[in-house]
Amino acid sequence: MIEQIAEKIAILLRGKIPEKIDTGKITDEHERYFANTLNHLISFTEEVHEFLIPLSKGELTKIKILPQNFFGSPFKELHSRLLHLTWQAKQVANGDFSQRVDFMGDFSEAFNAMIVSLDNNEKLLKRKIDELEKALSHINNLEGILPICSNCKKIRSEETDPKKQACWVPIESYISEKTEAQFSHGICPECLKKLYPEFK
Amino acid sequence: MFKENRDYNKFLWEDLGDLEAGRPNLGLNVPVLVYRLLQFTLRDVMITELGINKTNDIIIKAGRLAGRQFCENMLNRELDFNEFLSQLQSVLREQTIGILRVEQVDFENMRFTLTVAEDIDCSGLPPSDEVVCQYDEGFIAGVMEAYTGKTFHAKEIDCWTSGDRVCRFDVRLQKDTE
Repeated sequence: MIEQIAEKIAILLRGKIPEKIDTGKITDEHERYFANTLNHLISFTEEVHEFLIPLSKGELTKIKILPQNFFGSPFKELHSRLLHLTWQAKQVANGDFSQRVDFMGDFSEAFNAMIVSLDNNEKLLKRKIDELEKALSHINNLEGILPICSNCKKIRSEETDPKKQACWVPIESYISEKTEAQFSHGICPECLKKLYPEFK
Repeated sequence: MFKENRDYNKFLWEDLGDLEAGRPNLGLNVPVLVYRLLQFTLRDVMITELGINKTNDIIIKAGRLAGRQFCENMLNRELDFNEFLSQLQSVLREQTIGILRVEQVDFENMRFTLTVAEDIDCSGLPPSDEVVCQYDEGFIAGVMEAYTGKTFHAKEIDCWTSGDRVCRFDVRLQKDTE
């Protein structure tokens, strides 16, 4: 009997699940108790084994350790944490960057740092997109054909009456209004010569 | 409130009193030991006086009332469901009631699997054949009711006392359990 029990324990220690001992043939009360206890351990180990293999592959649903299997308690807690992490990851994927992982040591730090980083990157990206959209809107405003006076170079505002003088604005005003550009006024050499010939 | 006979619940959040004014030196918190001492002795006497079924029924109803009041006074019910769960998780942690984890959410059918680790009611209790978190069952159902306006049923399916290190609750609409 002792040899049989030792053999079963040796199989368990190699990470395998042995056949249970047939207690029906055991007449000694102590030996039967011992065999039943070992059979209990084999059942618990088998259940944990069957739970851990799919768990290690990330198959989190449809696996279960029965209540009262205290041997498997830490794995049940791990399973619960992984299911919760899966839910949290889905929330983050949907844009909820307030999710934080608690009480999971180094993993918490890494996961939480990743969420903060994702949050910051998204904010940065949104800011850049806003800036680009603003720049794009300015470019759009200056696109197309501008009606310009061939003599004084004033520009007629969009969809206004060309016969009304008020609709014609200086080119500087027009561009300043449509863009963020500003003008500083000087005079080019050719105009200087034409307008102020006394200046050399 | 505590001395008249009546057949309806009267408890309001304000009945908890002004704790800051009342306990300027000892503060707002008491050890879990004291909480359990109160609940377990009360249950023990109730079982002898009323029987186990009636006792559990009362504990669940009390938890339900507490959950509704807790939700109405401690939580923002305007949030969408996932945000609400995140908020519930934060507040339960801050109040050191337990570490709530969301395992599965089937919002369409209003069915959820939640776990509570380090639960104030049972974590660390000796192993037994029982699940003991009836107050939590009522509390979770009450929170969900106050948030959704629908009647919920929460059933503990795993418990620290049954060797699980976490308490797991199957939460669903009451009509689905009838």
